[in-house]
Amino acid sequence: MIATIKKTAMSAPLVLLFVIPLIASLAFALSGTLDAKNWQSLFAHPQLWPALELSIFTGLTSVAVSLLLALFLIAGLYHSPWWPRLSAQVGAMLAVPHVAMAIGLSFLIMPSGILARILAVLTSWTTPPHWITNHDPYGLSLIAALVLKETPFLMWALISILNREDVSHSFFGQRAVGLSLGHGQTSIWLRIYLPQLLPKLVWPLLAVFVYAATVVDMAIVIGPTQPPTLAVVVWADINDAQVLNNARGAVGAWFLTLVIALTAVFFWTTIKLILSKREWLTWPPASKDLLRPSGTFSKAKIFTLGFFYIVIAITQVILSLAPLWPFPKLWPDTLNLIAWARVWDNPSALITSLAVGFSTTVTALLLVVGWMETQPPSRDRFVTVLSATALGVPALLLALGQYRAFLQLGLTGTAFGLFLAHLIPVTAYMFLVLVGPYRSFDPRWWASASGLLTSLPRFFWTIKLPLLKAPVLAASAIGFAVSFGQYVPAQLITAGRYSTLPMEAVTLTSGTNRPLTAAFTLMLMAPPLLAFIAAAFLSKSRWSSK
Amino acid sequence: MSLVLENISAYFGDKRIFEKLSLTIEPGEIITVMGASGSGKTTLLSAVAGDMPNPLYSVGKVILNGRDVSIMRPELRRIGRLFQDDLLFPHLTVGENLLFGVERGLKAERMAMMKTALQRLELEGFEDRPPHTLSGGQRSRVALMRALLAKPDAMLLDEPFSKLDHELRATIRDYTYTHLRERKIPTLLVTHDFEDVPKGGRVIHV
Repeated sequence: MIATIKKTAMSAPLVLLFVIPLIASLAFALSGTLDAKNWQSLFAHPQLWPALELSIFTGLTSVAVSLLLALFLIAGLYHSPWWPRLSAQVGAMLAVPHVAMAIGLSFLIMPSGILARILAVLTSWTTPPHWITNHDPYGLSLIAALVLKETPFLMWALISILNREDVSHSFFGQRAVGLSLGHGQTSIWLRIYLPQLLPKLVWPLLAVFVYAATVVDMAIVIGPTQPPTLAVVVWADINDAQVLNNARGAVGAWFLTLVIALTAVFFWTTIKLILSKREWLTWPPASKDLLRPSGTFSKAKIFTLGFFYIVIAITQVILSLAPLWPFPKLWPDTLNLIAWARVWDNPSALITSLAVGFSTTVTALLLVVGWMETQPPSRDRFVTVLSATALGVPALLLALGQYRAFLQLGLTGTAFGLFLAHLIPVTAYMFLVLVGPYRSFDPRWWASASGLLTSLPRFFWTIKLPLLKAPVLAASAIGFAVSFGQYVPAQLITAGRYSTLPMEAVTLTSGTNRPLTAAFTLMLMAPPLLAFIAAAFLSKSRWSSK
Repeated sequence: MSLVLENISAYFGDKRIFEKLSLTIEPGEIITVMGASGSGKTTLLSAVAGDMPNPLYSVGKVILNGRDVSIMRPELRRIGRLFQDDLLFPHLTVGENLLFGVERGLKAERMAMMKTALQRLELEGFEDRPPHTLSGGQRSRVALMRALLAKPDAMLLDEPFSKLDHELRATIRDYTYTHLRERKIPTLLVTHDFEDVPKGGRVIHV
């Protein structure tokens, strides 16, 4: 009895720092939603419907394009010698914060951007073309930026499903059977793999859709403006000086969430309905294998995807050094370190982001590992559901509730408030990433080691942790990257007292200081990428050098 | 129908697994390949089927009914295969599994072939059942029938009886061999159990 209470008490840190703040945030997000006046003023908003259309359009299109791209890429490389290397490349792309990619892409495609300059060489333009690329009214550039980030995420989700031992074993056999029954690669993908994969992809797809349809920072940087997406409209209301507009923003966030949820349910039901017409599953083998997934083709595409990331990074480096770069020229007139000198003089945003990133990652790791070591697996479900909620609910809504809750507790504008606001998404991600590998740790290791070693702590440090090194390091790198990407909660909670890198970067994009914007974008990209590389390097097995 | 292997060699990178294996399997004949584990029995079957997993590769000719299939993609070779696991597709019903390999034709004809197969399996009424609700013996039989419905010109058996319990083994084995002989399909069987060798059948050691 006492042992049970003691064990339960060991869950306190995670409950206090994650569960309670999260539930409080969700509860506080609800306040004011029943006031009819707020809803009336929301529905009277002239931009509501066009903005909502844009949100749904950009969300759905980016998910559809990303899923198709991810499936094509994965299909061409599965069972190929490239496969083991693929997850490392995808992970690196995953580490770059969304908003940094949006800024980078905007520098690439803007009328005076790199793309126009390259074209100018061929067309001998002397002035920038009259393109409306950034902030285009249909949100196409926003969709492009989302696709650049969501394709690697869906690939990562697919890779982690396909790499599960049970899945890869049974797919390997089913593939051989499919071939022996006369079905080619395409048919095997469509009729054997995909129907088994899709149900497992529901949650990643939903997360991607919610993110894409409600994202604030990327939409401010590269999305349409007249009207913007609904998330940006709501965001403006929430940050408005007038209390009435704040209330309208709050119900707006709920409205957006509800519409997104209904859209997701509608589409999922439609897909299921289409899949339930099962006849196509047993169509006879085709005489010719059209659309055959090709390794070369996929390699070319993954190269293109990676190429975008590399070009964007290099462009940022040059831009950050180039105060003057007149239009058709491919290389700036002069290079100097003025932008970097400004960063050097006032490094507070970088320091804040690094401090928050390290402290939240370490804390979240302690919370999650502490939970796994002291709590029975039967309690995981509760935390898993909460974590999925934290990541599935639009950041806008969660951050709003969090802001209201923290205001009551006097936590807004404090360092602890900032820390806690970042800790919630970091812990949620790390819990979801670690729960699988941690709980499937083979108990026979302990059974065989308990005869040799005496204590549980010694077993943990000398056997368990080294064996779980790779997932623990990967989860930490992800946690750190997640912390670096937080814009909405940081902006609300800091109340002007602190500044983080994504906040600075988004603010700078509305100005004209390109070198400084580029420098901040680089600072936003580099640390998560370095953390990822460090994790990949450190998790190399002792024997893999040969 | 006959299956001829001419000078088949298999390699793992630059390591040789077996070299210059030649063999003729007559119609309806079942030849048994035996050898210790790791001797390359399964690799031989993969070489014939044409789906060697990287970095394994093979050279040599596979001639089926006079046509050289070793230059063909695996799905065009018309070589059926059975494995240790029945590998019925878990997302398809029993009926859909049987239909999976039935070649092009009128829908009614394809359905009729499937129904006849269910009758021969004595599994009428199981058409819409998911495979996991069948017993081990029933699943093995469905896997065999699924392979036969694709009308293969040759058959490869990769220890298909090794996971069945003792009593079932003999029954399923006889059932399988009867069907293969009846259709005059040349068959290559890999096993490490002498009981699997058909009476008077040829045995090759690798």
